[in-house]
Amino acid sequence: MIDVQRPSCQPLLSVRDLVVQYQGASGAVQAVRGVSFDLASDESLALIGESGCGKTTLGLALLGLLPKAARIMGGQILYRTRDGRVVDVVRLSDAELRRFRWQECAMVFQGALNAFNPVLKIWDQVVDTARAHGFRDRTRIREQCERLLRLVQLDPTRVLDSYPHELSGGMRQRVMIALSLLLEPRLVIYDEPTTALDILTQRAIIEVLRSLRQELGFAMVFISHDLPLAAELADRVATMYAGRIVELADVRNLFYRPRHPYTRGLLLAVPPVSGPLTTVVSIPGSPPSLASLPAGCSFAPRCEFATDRCRREEPTLSTVAPGHWSACHHWSAVSLDRWMERLGGASHA
Amino acid sequence: MSVRRHGSPRTVQVIRRLLRAYALRRVLKAVITVWIVVTATFFLVRLMPGSPVEVYIHTLISQYGFTYDEAANQAAALFAFDPNQPLLVQYLDYLRSLARGDLGQSLVSPGTPVSSILLSYLPWTLFSAGLGLFVSFVSGLFLGMLMAYRRGGLIDHVLTALGSFFQAVPNYLVAIVLIVFLGVQLGWLPVTKMRGAVSPGVQPGLTVAFVADVLYHAALPVLTYVLTTVGSWMLLMKSSTLSTLEEDYVTVARARGLSDGRIMRAYVGRNAVLPLFAQVAIAAGFVVGGSVVIERIFVYEGIGFVLLDAINRRDYPLMQGIFFVITLSVIAANLLADLLYSRLDPRIRRHPAEGDR
Ligand SMILES: Nc1ncnc2c1ncn2[C@@H]1O[C@H](COP(=O)(O)OP(=O)(O)OP(=O)(O)O)[C@@H](O)[C@H]1O
Ligand code: SF4
Ligand SMILES: [Mg+2]
Repeated sequence: MIDVQRPSCQPLLSVRDLVVQYQGASGAVQAVRGVSFDLASDESLALIGESGCGKTTLGLALLGLLPKAARIMGGQILYRTRDGRVVDVVRLSDAELRRFRWQECAMVFQGALNAFNPVLKIWDQVVDTARAHGFRDRTRIREQCERLLRLVQLDPTRVLDSYPHELSGGMRQRVMIALSLLLEPRLVIYDEPTTALDILTQRAIIEVLRSLRQELGFAMVFISHDLPLAAELADRVATMYAGRIVELADVRNLFYRPRHPYTRGLLLAVPPVSGPLTTVVSIPGSPPSLASLPAGCSFAPRCEFATDRCRREEPTLSTVAPGHWSACHHWSAVSLDRWMERLGGASHA
Repeated sequence: MSVRRHGSPRTVQVIRRLLRAYALRRVLKAVITVWIVVTATFFLVRLMPGSPVEVYIHTLISQYGFTYDEAANQAAALFAFDPNQPLLVQYLDYLRSLARGDLGQSLVSPGTPVSSILLSYLPWTLFSAGLGLFVSFVSGLFLGMLMAYRRGGLIDHVLTALGSFFQAVPNYLVAIVLIVFLGVQLGWLPVTKMRGAVSPGVQPGLTVAFVADVLYHAALPVLTYVLTTVGSWMLLMKSSTLSTLEEDYVTVARARGLSDGRIMRAYVGRNAVLPLFAQVAIAAGFVVGGSVVIERIFVYEGIGFVLLDAINRRDYPLMQGIFFVITLSVIAANLLADLLYSRLDPRIRRHPAEGDR
């Protein structure tokens, strides 16, 4: 087992060798293939990767919320509760899991414009949530909820008295973000919370999240396929490829000294703030099908650093610098010259 | 001057707001539909060559030697209109008597108003077929949800097979099988004694004896309605529940830690029922029309039974009255379902224009 623990901290969450498999009609696919990471109680981790690499599956697994077709084949999700006990989410009973959800760990879903029951007013859904966890004092729920709604810059009276369809997509997503904090969870998973929204609304949501975290201080897993967006909120970034974490580092290290060709490819694919768009290089090819992964490194068919060894031997996540892990045989050859050039060019302009 | 200028847009505004009110628009639509049907019936029955009125007058002349005037007067009394009046007056008279509930008199038993025949037979049909529909719908909802929650299990397979089977069997066949097997062959049910809507001599009233007797007589028709329709409600509810279970808000509700029971009732159930309301409206509308054959087979004396009788005896005013009731029930059922639907689905209540999204 590799050690991805940050030195000198007792993590809130430790995921170890997690494997999740979907049982489809055409056989089984592993969407999460041995993921390990730690998360401190005040930390924000961004989970980055192309569509279909297993980000949502990992998020759902953390909440014990996987669909029926999915099974956890191995690994642990160790969570440190408020009273200092360490529980394995994988092994919680249904009742314990129900209490764990939202009270300890909440989740805002991907493109969740349909996240609210269309036939109930927002306030009723807030009350539903609180009551499910044994909070019955409606005045206190109301106060807490109004405070959160004001924090996400919404008018509480109007919103709470509305049906979901009466709110815009951006408003609904803000309500969801406020609702995710209703029971003061210590961990919140945001699964692409801005995907379905326009650019301006996206920005507003990111700002809201940033200030909420400053105000309330909770741990956060931010799932996205948009690296720059994630970098704004993250302390650390994990790049995911074909069901695995292939690189994990502090946000600055990952941006300026990526040690995995896939992360490097993602960075080069980011359009520059200024300068010609021709400097954008997208990663050639497309992500592999999880049902038929190539032997050796699963990124090899798209990797410009690939050698015979890569096609034979699967690399494991290993330390390349303090607090920096990469799963690549040739990590030392990976550098970001062209990226730096571009940054330099931009600063001259 | 300025008051008028301000006043009229305000009136327009009020009218517009009223028209925008969903319920009011629906009621208005229903009233207009009734009026169109009533008007069409009037012109069809009175004015077309070979219309019942004309046929009746000619029968009187040729068979009983009436003069045209005598025959016309007789017809006017029966059909509740006066053929010697101008058309518009006739039409208005007709509307006026309809509004008073006067549907003319039965041809076969002269002197008996059609409305009183309707009043004494219709309640039995509404009771038996309505009870059948209600029991069938409610059990269909529960069974359908059960099947969806236990998808692929034994219960699901057995109920799907049974549901598809009974859905495919016509109701008269079920009725005949019930009579032939349970009644005649096995002798378990006294089918002859169960005929009629009540046993002779039982006093109507809110007594246990009366209610028991009413249920006893309605049992076979109700059982037939339930057996032949519960399958389709079940299967509809199953597929609706399955697609609702896929909705994001159900996953989010689970993530919020809601109990399974609360999710099943307020999140899955309530949303899954919505699409079934249009169908239950149609079914409710056909309660009266659909009772004809079943009531005939079980000799249950409801309006369907009377209708078949009226057709056999060419009792036009009675037929017309019953058809009028059938039309009314279809329209009323649709109206009721629309209003109920809008109570259950806020998207329709508030934004009628976007309701179909
Ligand atoms: N319900 C399911 N049944 C079977 N396979 C599934 C199911 N959901 C996801 N998968 C498979 O698991 C893989 C990972 O899916 P997941 O939704 O976790 O990806 P993702 O990284 O969140 O992608 P995106 O960025 O598009 O949201 C997909 O390639 C898909 O084939
Ligand atoms: S191991 Fe080889 S193929 Fe895989 S990323 Fe590293 S260099 Fe590329
Ligand atoms: Mg996803």
